[in-house]
Amino acid sequence: MRGLRCLGLIVLLLFAVAAFTPLANLINIRMAGVPHVEPSDAIVVLGRGGADSDGVLTNRSLRRLLRGVGLYHDGFAPLLVLSGSAGEAHARTTLARGFGIPETAILTTARARTTREEAEEIARLLLPLGQRRILLVADPIDMPRSRALMEHSGFVVRPVPTAATGPSNPESRLGLLRDLVTELAGWTYYRLNGAL
Amino acid sequence: MGSLALIGIVALTSVAAYLVATQCFGWRHDTLPAAMGETLECIGLAAIFLAGNLAVGAALVFGSRIFLDRFISVYGLSDIALVLLSLLQAIVLQSWRRSR
Repeated sequence: MRGLRCLGLIVLLLFAVAAFTPLANLINIRMAGVPHVEPSDAIVVLGRGGADSDGVLTNRSLRRLLRGVGLYHDGFAPLLVLSGSAGEAHARTTLARGFGIPETAILTTARARTTREEAEEIARLLLPLGQRRILLVADPIDMPRSRALMEHSGFVVRPVPTAATGPSNPESRLGLLRDLVTELAGWTYYRLNGAL
Repeated sequence: MGSLALIGIVALTSVAAYLVATQCFGWRHDTLPAAMGETLECIGLAAIFLAGNLAVGAALVFGSRIFLDRFISVYGLSDIALVLLSLLQAIVLQSWRRSR
């Protein structure tokens, strides 16, 4: 029972630190790295969270799309590549068109189910066209793994994280830390099966 | 509402509960440390349940990918509901242990 109490105390302390200190924000900033925005061949907006059953994009998916649309309108690349599930890619394409991006400038891929498959699909789409330099739009917490996978697929990656500091309320900080644990598990999995 | 406000609210209701328990119900304040110890045990149990649930979930996800050729996203395991369900499992087990 003493061991259980120690474990409980550790969990409680971790909870307090995660929810009520800026630790999660510091990790977020560290994971995001330095944004590298310069003219490239394409803007790649990776999928995240899909779309609800009524076709509405999740918060993160929408945030990524908006960052990608902004980069396009600022003239950083002539192509916008939208990835994700079928529903997500469709909703993103509709929104991108609504934001004034011509259909000819939008490429979509909706077959991938994992980030690794996304990297492979986008490589099949862009590399034959000779487009290797990409602006990669992803959440800060996802950026290291996403970047490594895209580089592994043959791209020259310029990271453009969607945010820097992250949330400032306890609930969102806990969510951020949960994402970090998920991300570490994903990174470990990809390392073990040789994807990275 | 800021983080400190949340802590303040919880502190306030905790003090109120302490006063009601000791003044109205006559609960002895020297039994409080033992109760806090049991709470820590319950949280520890919940952590063990959560680890077990995640391990079983991961095995099912990867097992279905490998053996059934059916894709299930691993992100489903990061649902906050799993934490609450693990806590529920721990509370039931703890109550069961106490009632033996």
